[in-house]
Amino acid sequence: MIKILDFFDYARSESLWMAHFCTGCCSLEMAAAMGPRYDWERYGYMPTPTPRQADVLMITGLVSKKILPALLRTYAQMPEPKYVMALGACSYDGGPYNDSLSVIKNPTEILPADVFVAGCPPKPEAIIEGLETIKQKIKNKEPSAASQGGLWKEMEF
Amino acid sequence: MSKSMEGVAKALESFETEYVENYKPTWFKAKLKSPDEIVAVAEAMKAEGLRTLSTVSPTDWPEEGIMEMNYFFEDLETKRNCWVKCEIPRDPERCEIDSITPVVPSAEWHEREAYSMFGVRFRNHPDLRYLILSPDYYGKFPFRADFDMAAHEKEQLEHVKEIVRDFKAEQEANDAELDPEGSEMVLNWGPTHPASGPIRLKVRCDGEDILGVDPEIGYVWRALENLVTRKDFVGAIVAVERLCFMDNINSMTGYCMAVEEIAGVEITPFAKWMRTLLGEIARISSHMMGTGNFYNTMGLHTIMLWNLDVREYFLDVLESYSGARIATAAIEPGGVRYPLDMKLMDELQRALDKFDATIGDIETVFAKNPTMRHRARKIGKISAQEAIDWGLSGPVLRASGVRSDVRLDEPYAAYDQVEMDYVTVPGGTAADRFQTIFEELKQSVKIIKQAKKRIEEGVASGEFDPSKDHMVKVPKKLPAGEAVSRVEWARGEVLMHLVTKEKAKSPYRLKMRAPSFNHTMVLDRLLRGKTLSDIPLVFGSMYVCQGDLDR
Repeated sequence: MIKILDFFDYARSESLWMAHFCTGCCSLEMAAAMGPRYDWERYGYMPTPTPRQADVLMITGLVSKKILPALLRTYAQMPEPKYVMALGACSYDGGPYNDSLSVIKNPTEILPADVFVAGCPPKPEAIIEGLETIKQKIKNKEPSAASQGGLWKEMEF
Repeated sequence: MSKSMEGVAKALESFETEYVENYKPTWFKAKLKSPDEIVAVAEAMKAEGLRTLSTVSPTDWPEEGIMEMNYFFEDLETKRNCWVKCEIPRDPERCEIDSITPVVPSAEWHEREAYSMFGVRFRNHPDLRYLILSPDYYGKFPFRADFDMAAHEKEQLEHVKEIVRDFKAEQEANDAELDPEGSEMVLNWGPTHPASGPIRLKVRCDGEDILGVDPEIGYVWRALENLVTRKDFVGAIVAVERLCFMDNINSMTGYCMAVEEIAGVEITPFAKWMRTLLGEIARISSHMMGTGNFYNTMGLHTIMLWNLDVREYFLDVLESYSGARIATAAIEPGGVRYPLDMKLMDELQRALDKFDATIGDIETVFAKNPTMRHRARKIGKISAQEAIDWGLSGPVLRASGVRSDVRLDEPYAAYDQVEMDYVTVPGGTAADRFQTIFEELKQSVKIIKQAKKRIEEGVASGEFDPSKDHMVKVPKKLPAGEAVSRVEWARGEVLMHLVTKEKAKSPYRLKMRAPSFNHTMVLDRLLRGKTLSDIPLVFGSMYVCQGDLDR
């Protein structure tokens, strides 16, 4: 029985699908990682149009106040187990828009991320590296950060 | 002064003005004594042929107690521009001016934006609602000089609650209004639709048929125009280039031209050629995404992957030059940021070779694709007259057969020495817009080849010194002044209106007029009466980027 469950984790980790949802400009490098030069599908990653089939939610850069409820709703619609990956400086502290009127400065306090990928925007290699880290996390049976806590649990969206 | 420019001067004669001056060869600048005449001015401009309003840009002067309104009229056919200023009181109660939207339809969203940000109420505007703002800013007018951002931003999560409440109330209002037994409904297209990006089109439909589209924008609103006022003149390029990452070079060029105009600095010919070269590379990188996206909206991803492959080679050039693939920050007031290592030209040649080797395949398989043409030729038709009236620009305008391109109309950088012509396609349908963008790819490569040759010759003959000529010094503090610059961005015309105060270290006001704003404004007119399945394709063909839509 244990071996079958191990196999599920293995299968899940080798075919990570991410919800196709752009909140900011880092999604451009996400597209580049999808392209022929970096070709993330060789690692089993694929964007899917619906959150219902997704394993990973990417916070692609900045999160504005207006899009935060949509982001959380997308996350809530994903089936367990689900992971969050934060791309770029914006998703950490607002990055270059830290001083802006309308950008959430602490998106990962609201929706904790399992992996941070640094850069503005991060390079495609770094994005793939980040996804590999999530792969390891699944294989090690580590629970996702957002399931452990975060402000999103008390929020209405 | 050309004869057609005299017509503009004549049109302005009948109004009481403080001054009328010849600002640039194709520009007049005038200041009205009374703001009440603005509608009459708009009518006179329209009669003279300046039928498009680029944008409305208010500047807030709290000490004087005035709100200075700047209107930028333009004639896209005979290439004339007129900058009309007037003053209104800034006191929120009396901050009012007549709307020119009934005369000049392209002003509609620009006036709504000025109302949302500065609280200028436009009398007789057909639909003066808040635009871009998130609901917590409704009625707060965040771009006014006395708005306390720090106090407002303390309670961010409370604001999110407000946004959620507002959204739910909107859905409930829809449910209450619509007959549950009927076939009418309001459909939210986006922001989670794979082809939409962060924008929400509120589509009112009866079964499959679209009755109306109301775009809800502002999902990536970063208030860049406000952000730059807290940065110095060089630091501001970080915000300006993030207008949209797909073509970040040309937006920086526009901003730097405005700064140089106020500082009174002339950049070197070498820097001009570099701006041209880098700008065209960025344009290719944007157009590659644009043509790919167009097919994505029809559900075919192959062309996107082919394009991304070619695009990588051009990004390599940008990376070798600036150290970053996308956020290059490569253009700075005074020239370009880095000296040129001539090895870059080999890398550029590799990119050009890759382009030449692939473009034929892309053309045969996709650009001439009969299935696509059959599908896209029927929808999204815009006539030349409509395109001018609605203030469209760039490839979308040229696809309607209008010969307009800022690179030729008002040459900047080294475009006055480049051999090029307008790329126009008659027709104005979605298929024609794809065709225009595709043809412009080839045009950009031709320009790159010219720029590359010129730089190589100049360096070989000793005319350019690539290690020194890239930059001239621009003072850190600028005098008080005001400048307008226009560039042909990948998606269309970007107009920068920069205002500085005496001895200022940072911009006092920067208005960025970006093309996607007008292109989204017309979606309602294009989609009404069509079916739901047309939305992605029409939206994709308008070449919209949410980054410059919201700013």
